[in-house]
Amino acid sequence: MTLTEAKKVTVRKKKINAKALPAKTLAWVVMVAFALFSVIPMTWLVLAPSKTQVGLQVDPPMSFGTFQGYIDAWNNLMLFQDGRLVTWLWNSIWYTSIQVLVACLIAILGGYALAATRMPFRKSMLITTLVAMIVPQVAFVLPLFVEITTLGLYDTAWAIILPGTFFPFGVFLSYIYFSTTIPHDLYEAARIDGSGDWGVFFRIALPLSKGLIGMLAFFSFQVNWINFFLPYVVVNSGEVLTLPVGLGILFSSTPALNPQVGANVLPIRGPEIALAGLLIAIPILLIFLASSRLLVRGVLAGSVKS
Amino acid sequence: MNKKFLSSLAIASALTLAACSGGGTSDAGGSDGGSTEASGPRALLVWVDTVREPACLSYQESVAGEIDVTCEVVGQEEILPKIQLSNTAGQGWPDVVFSPPNSAAIYAEAANGYALNLDDYVDSAVIDAYNTSNDWCLVDGSYYCLKNDLAQTVLWYDTVIFEELGLTVPTTMDEFAATAMQLEGTDYVAGAVGDQGFYAGYLWPSGCPMADVQDPTTVRINSSASECTRVFDLMQPLLDAGVVDSRSAFDAGFIADVAQQQKVAMHIGPSWWGEFVIRPADSWAIPEGRIAAAEMPKWDGESTAWSGEWGGGIWVVSSHAANLQDAADAGVYLATDPDMREDKVTFPGYQPAFEKWAARLGQDTYYASDPTVAMVAQASRIRQDNNPVRFDMRGQIGVLQTEIGNGATLKDATETFMASLVELAPGVGYTVVD
Amino acid sequence: MFKHRAQLMSRINGFLMFFPYLLLLVMFAVVPIVLAASVSLEESLTNPGGGFGNYLFVLQDFRFLPALINVLLFLLIYLPTMLIVVAGLSLMLDSIKARHSVPLRLAYLVPAGITGSVAILVWYFMLEPTYSPFAPLFAEFGWTQGTDIFNSSNLIYIFALMTFFTGAGNWIVIQYGSLQSIPDELLEAARIDGANSLQVAFRIKLPLIRKYLVYMLVLVMAAGLQIFVEPYLLSSSVYPGIAKDWSLNQLSYTLAFLGSNLGAATALSLMLLVVMLGLALIVIFRTDFFDEAKTKIKES
Repeated sequence: MTLTEAKKVTVRKKKINAKALPAKTLAWVVMVAFALFSVIPMTWLVLAPSKTQVGLQVDPPMSFGTFQGYIDAWNNLMLFQDGRLVTWLWNSIWYTSIQVLVACLIAILGGYALAATRMPFRKSMLITTLVAMIVPQVAFVLPLFVEITTLGLYDTAWAIILPGTFFPFGVFLSYIYFSTTIPHDLYEAARIDGSGDWGVFFRIALPLSKGLIGMLAFFSFQVNWINFFLPYVVVNSGEVLTLPVGLGILFSSTPALNPQVGANVLPIRGPEIALAGLLIAIPILLIFLASSRLLVRGVLAGSVKS
Repeated sequence: MNKKFLSSLAIASALTLAACSGGGTSDAGGSDGGSTEASGPRALLVWVDTVREPACLSYQESVAGEIDVTCEVVGQEEILPKIQLSNTAGQGWPDVVFSPPNSAAIYAEAANGYALNLDDYVDSAVIDAYNTSNDWCLVDGSYYCLKNDLAQTVLWYDTVIFEELGLTVPTTMDEFAATAMQLEGTDYVAGAVGDQGFYAGYLWPSGCPMADVQDPTTVRINSSASECTRVFDLMQPLLDAGVVDSRSAFDAGFIADVAQQQKVAMHIGPSWWGEFVIRPADSWAIPEGRIAAAEMPKWDGESTAWSGEWGGGIWVVSSHAANLQDAADAGVYLATDPDMREDKVTFPGYQPAFEKWAARLGQDTYYASDPTVAMVAQASRIRQDNNPVRFDMRGQIGVLQTEIGNGATLKDATETFMASLVELAPGVGYTVVD
Repeated sequence: MFKHRAQLMSRINGFLMFFPYLLLLVMFAVVPIVLAASVSLEESLTNPGGGFGNYLFVLQDFRFLPALINVLLFLLIYLPTMLIVVAGLSLMLDSIKARHSVPLRLAYLVPAGITGSVAILVWYFMLEPTYSPFAPLFAEFGWTQGTDIFNSSNLIYIFALMTFFTGAGNWIVIQYGSLQSIPDELLEAARIDGANSLQVAFRIKLPLIRKYLVYMLVLVMAAGLQIFVEPYLLSSSVYPGIAKDWSLNQLSYTLAFLGSNLGAATALSLMLLVVMLGLALIVIFRTDFFDEAKTKIKES
């Protein structure tokens, strides 16, 4: 049938089906309930720094305090070790930036090599990458600690940065991308024209990989920004640590969650610590929301055809 | 295409350059692993907790210009693992650290090697002025740390409640139990035990053998000893009757519903309890003129009214410090300086500092009577059969308090606690005896 | 001859392109394992004479079995919940018009930032009755104190809740994306045959995304076995001692840095790693999940 006829059929079928209504309502209720469940804690986190510690206990949890609350919370946070929080924030930013840049670059090259060149041992390298993809970095933390201290990188920024550039999932994604999205004929045509592999890479593959770069940056950022265990173990000095680990330090060194520490020494309580947590959560939130279309388009589809 | 790639390369380089020159990798204060005596500027790295940070900052000020002191706040739970991390990595030790006391034997152990033997670096006059208060730090005949304070337990009580209910201050543990039972049916409680207070204020003074070091390879741990069972037998009925709270004294619910409502009639707690817990507005906020401290009640058959210790942190000097004498001097200041210690919350073990502190507290109108009288009496009564051990005692005490807080019986909780000590001891070279 | 040279150049160029990643693979996957293995076999107080003593020591440690049980029970709650909720909600999303589902999908992505230390922060306040917006709900169950909720027997549920909360949303969106790749003709054909929405969902869509769901479960299980941050932080700050050595990774950390027994710690780490590798190999070789990916290599 023609396109217009097909459209008519589809439209007709989407009239309200009375029998399906209860099921549909139930589905909507469940979906909306889950949406609320997803959103409430983050909303709380955003609102918390605007209140005072007493306000957190006494005021309704979803209420807004004052804008001054945020400023006060920030100023109180700055009292901890003379603004150590800013150092942590800055460290998180530049470590993650380097990690994302380097990881994506290396992953794109590696995936392309697997997909479009005749590099040796492709099959075993792919298998190795698949294995490395499934095993989370957390499993390697203690062995990595042993290696990092042996290499003399202990307590430096590089102890955190370098392991984060190893990105097997990125290699896999770009391998799938380059072997499915770019037609084989395009490679052949370029080769016949006289381009070598590097030429094909720069002139054909790379320009077509905007979506891939987006996905790689997204996953690499997420995993590296929130990393706790590895930085916690391979770095000792507060100045070199990242924000997630810094938040952990605030837990154990301030009375916010642990009153035994010193209820009358530092004015760092619930609102302040919520603000610190917000600094960690917001970048992830923004990046996830901005990349939502990428996620929907199908991370997995294309890697495994159904 | 090529342009895009080049521009991203440019951005990457710019970021890298900015990062390398920006924050992050600066020297955190000067202690390298095994480096030679400092020929450059003198620097010290000190790890403290939040409560001790002001003390560190005042030291920093007092040596400004001569020595560059960095004060780093590190959670007390993390001191031991971080020192071990540094040991494994061979670098990154702090020159002076304020540590929980249970780790003293761990640092002093040759295999660990962190703690400096202070005999050659600290004036004997300083040690003498401690009297016996620094004995916790005595390992194999040498001193490996300096006690920051003594945290001897005393009996804190609320004179107003006692007067209102016609109670007398108990002098034996049986009297303590009887007095507590008199609170049954009222809203008042005789303390909370879901925290380290149970270990320090009941098990330890009773003499329950939890870490009774006989010699460097033998430790006595026995949960069936009568000194342990008498604690369960005495306290469990109180817990069941609700006159002693199973929560931690720091529990948000306990503070809001009980402590801040001025319902705590009495509480066995350490010497710093008054200044750190009872008084502050953010904590129990008990009004002026009510609180007093009495000597510990005596256990049946004991000739002394023993105390335990809850805390009593130690200052440990690093044997890896670039300048050992500087580090030792810093340790001495932080542990003992009388002026600096005067307004702090803890009971100094060092005599001259103690005298200043006691004078301040004695004049303080907050307390109904001078609390230092009982504290001084108890200072020399800290029971000696609980010693620093080479396994992580502190972590297991955390488990004990969780069990009690969860509602386990004191007997079960303590037996589980001590069973885990029995498991841990052989791994560090102890033989466990009854 | 030109063809041979081109092929040789392709081999060399391919290797050069792959080399940086290979270097990282060796440095951060292979070498650590080798080093850790050598440390785990070293002679020490608990491993006199060297060899596999450390492995035995770990297996017999009084904390090992409880930690293993904790992690397994945690997975037992966490994995089925993930499967049911993620499959169910992604199917539901797919049953409504795409543009209606956009705000829902965005909402489901919101929890992604609440992980690790932030998760402890948020969930402490969400579960502690004194602060929680759910306090009235808790009161219905008789939970009025912090210790009613935060106690040892509830830990499995608490950590399952935290991990589920962070992960479910974005997996729902990802699976929804997988559902989009199902050809419309297939769905049309089913509808013409008279299938209603529910039947389409269970008989057509679900089997077609089965692979993706299995893959999700494998990844989630691998990460779950390694849980560390949440129990560690809960136990070291908010409720000291509540979850001490609760998970296997915590035990590894304790052995290394509280017990100064790096040999036993690396032994435990490696044992966990072997399990991970086993999982990975099963998925790769025993399921057909990666078959297309593997055959692509054969083709080109």
